Amino acid sequence: MATTASVALKRRKTRHVLPGFGLTLGYTMVYLSLLVLIPLSAVFIRSVGSGWGHFWEVVTAPRVLASLRLSFGASLVAASINVVFGLIVSWVLVRYTFPFKRFIDGMVDLPFALPTAVAGIALTALYAPNGWLGVWLAPLGLNVAFTPVGIVVALTFIGLPFVVRTLQPVLEELDKEVEQAAASLGASPLQAFCRVIFPALWPALLTGFALAFARAIGEYGSVIFIAGNMPMRSEIAPLLIVSKLEQYDYAGATAIAVVMLVLSFAIMFGINALQNWASSRHGER
Amino acid sequence: MSIALRGVTKQFGEYAAVENIDLDVPTGALMALLGPSGSGKTTLLRIIGGLETPDQGQVLFDGQDATLWPIGDRKVGFVFQQYALFRHMTVFENVAFGLKVKRRRERPSAPAIRKKVQELLALVQLDWAHDRYPAQLSGGQRQRVALARAMAIGPQVLLLDEPFGALDSQVRHELRRWLRRLHDELHFTSIIVTHDQQEAIEVADTVVVLNRGKIEQVGIPGEIYDLPESAFVHRFLGQVNELPVLLRDGRAYIGPIDISAAAEVQTGSAQNIALIRPHEIEIGQPSSGWPATVVAVRVIGPIVRLDVCADGHSVHEPLEAEISRERFEAERFTIGQRVGVRFRRWQVYPAAA
Amino acid sequence: MGRWLLIVTALLFLCVFLVLPLLAVFAQALAKGFEAYYLAIMAPMAWAAVKLTLLVAAIAVPLNLIFGVAAAWAIAKFNFRGKSALITLIDLPFAVSPVIAGMIFILVFGTHGWFGGSLRAHHIRVVFAVPGIVLATLFVTFPFIARELIPVMQSQGKDDEETALSLGATGWQTFWRVTLPNIRWGLLYGVLLCNARAMGEFGAVSVVSGHIRGVTNTMPLHVEILYNEYNYTAAFAVASLLALLALLTLAGKSILEWRQPELRHAVRMPRDRTRRA
Repeated sequence: MATTASVALKRRKTRHVLPGFGLTLGYTMVYLSLLVLIPLSAVFIRSVGSGWGHFWEVVTAPRVLASLRLSFGASLVAASINVVFGLIVSWVLVRYTFPFKRFIDGMVDLPFALPTAVAGIALTALYAPNGWLGVWLAPLGLNVAFTPVGIVVALTFIGLPFVVRTLQPVLEELDKEVEQAAASLGASPLQAFCRVIFPALWPALLTGFALAFARAIGEYGSVIFIAGNMPMRSEIAPLLIVSKLEQYDYAGATAIAVVMLVLSFAIMFGINALQNWASSRHGER
Repeated sequence: MSIALRGVTKQFGEYAAVENIDLDVPTGALMALLGPSGSGKTTLLRIIGGLETPDQGQVLFDGQDATLWPIGDRKVGFVFQQYALFRHMTVFENVAFGLKVKRRRERPSAPAIRKKVQELLALVQLDWAHDRYPAQLSGGQRQRVALARAMAIGPQVLLLDEPFGALDSQVRHELRRWLRRLHDELHFTSIIVTHDQQEAIEVADTVVVLNRGKIEQVGIPGEIYDLPESAFVHRFLGQVNELPVLLRDGRAYIGPIDISAAAEVQTGSAQNIALIRPHEIEIGQPSSGWPATVVAVRVIGPIVRLDVCADGHSVHEPLEAEISRERFEAERFTIGQRVGVRFRRWQVYPAAA
Repeated sequence: MGRWLLIVTALLFLCVFLVLPLLAVFAQALAKGFEAYYLAIMAPMAWAAVKLTLLVAAIAVPLNLIFGVAAAWAIAKFNFRGKSALITLIDLPFAVSPVIAGMIFILVFGTHGWFGGSLRAHHIRVVFAVPGIVLATLFVTFPFIARELIPVMQSQGKDDEETALSLGATGWQTFWRVTLPNIRWGLLYGVLLCNARAMGEFGAVSVVSGHIRGVTNTMPLHVEILYNEYNYTAAFAVASLLALLALLTLAGKSILEWRQPELRHAVRMPRDRTRRA
């Protein structure tokens, strides 16, 4: 039987059973610091270094404001388009079968895989007045290429996979039986959608929207070919940063960059908070 | 090899998984750590095996302080609940793994490894499966491979974490008997974690009942079942009926039945309950005991379960009694029949337990 | 039926936004016939661009591979405070515009940057040279492998590794013989995505490269130069090579997803999902 002698020692430090913690975490932190943290901090240090007054002056200059408005506005519109059509696309991909579905499903990732410059020139070729789509739209008075509309088109392309790929797993996990239960209780398809399906979907929709939006505001390569790049009209913020860099106006460039970074980080933070809230709201996990 | 735990405590954040455990595992014993989920039994096993380090206390192997020894040095064979077979290796390669990763000086030659692996596979009756992959085997077969793999390194201790939990009851039954035979042949010290009291009682020499990180009772299977030291152990080790014990005129009563002088049921508490196993209840003529009505009859193989509602006791809580098939054939109890209830054995505990 | 309306709408949308641009690349590249296409691809400047692209990828992908494996090991197999912050940190490049990604290295290594003076003194060129391109590519592509491996390793848990250790294996033996075979599909998937981005990166590299023809032009940059010179056929010809790479990447992706379905949909990394012991 057990004896009653007990040896009480001081509380020990946690020891890891699996080896390699120090090595891997250390390497990870060093890599991140050198490659990411330190260079990123250069942006903030440089812009703050020129003083708040200068910073404010740069950021509120009309050309800068116009470019920021354009970048944010076009991104908002593009992300919204992606929400609507992304919902339709993911719905169709998850729920229905049709020929070549797997091929089309794979193609949704094209904007992830295709280099942005290639996308840029391809879209320009399509929507230019003599392009495949441009010839149809020009007589209708719709000029896409070299206008803000073209920017929205390019940004829609870029953000397309974000909404679809965020929605698909949620749709796939939706228990068919829950809908059937709703139907057996007398709900019409529209009611079932609004009351049963949509509540499960909207956090994913919002996440997809935020991801597409965040990606779009910083987008460069696919936009600059189709954009027209006229200051005050069709010049996106990243392009303005490049212009300032070429003129060695580091203070100006970093100021705009700071604004964009702060917004991007805020969006990322928001997405995290949203996901945490969504996964815990019904006591799951 | 003998194992001893002294004052072992382990906390996960605020939650104490095991608290101040003292335990002795003699050489060659097959010990079961039995308890509900959250009782700390798996944590204890992992501490012995070196997969967790206790916050306080010592783990002694043959008297030596092994608390901080790394797993590889402890020479324990560990069998996980989900077997953890290496899915991209064949059965042969799985079993040979422990031998192949030895340091060069200690590593046996390839032919020696092959021979050893074949021996072990023959021992677990899976020599025909040597070039199969784990995905191609049944649960019971995978379990035996996991065991063979653990035995390949020549351990002195085998630690098994709910080894039969994921298997069908028939397979479980067979594997239990097989494990016991293997243990008797090879004289390991084995510690097996389980939440199934049937399994613990059938397989082990010694049973340790754990509850919420503490040891409730240690003893041989018969003892634990017949002489539980606490209400928890009594309840956990099988079905029980619970009845309040009333004190009147210096005597103690369960219902109308006088069970003893009140002095003999001193538990130190004002409110007490009696725990009575179904087979400790006797059913007879209505005049022979506490009057009751039969409300359900279930014939289950060799035994018959009778639910009886004792007069004066809540109708929502019938007593569950078990009688032998022979008895039932003789008396032919039916629903609605009036009977008398008597208790052959009982144990009294404080009501709060 | 409403169903077919939805399907047609979805397909139309995808056709306009995905298929047409892809077709346009090849159509424009071949607009002047196969011979012109061939000449454009074989031009010496184009070749230099191809070689540089391959070189950058050959350096960036392995470096990020090591990082990805190390980070995934630390995150998936251990519990420690700040793990969520670390995961967020790894996702950081996705929140940074490529232009800014290039700019930060100019701020650090450029002539007017932090190390500009000492670099110039030692005649080392980072910005407007290959090292700068490699750095910018590293920054933009390092999350890919980590974020594929982390969920894979988290869902596999620690059982296999603990078993191997209990059988006497050292840490390295455990990693090579047990962990690596278990994660090989996730690894391949991450490498595929990392490579596609490394070869196709435009914005960050554009800022950092200086556009020196034949020396610091990757394929995407070369496409831009040709396009700005109105040499459309040549531009689309080089672009078509990149488009082929994209299609190969998509094909590889699909095959791996079919083999290991858990790899799909890793748009966002799951937050801390480690299993308790």
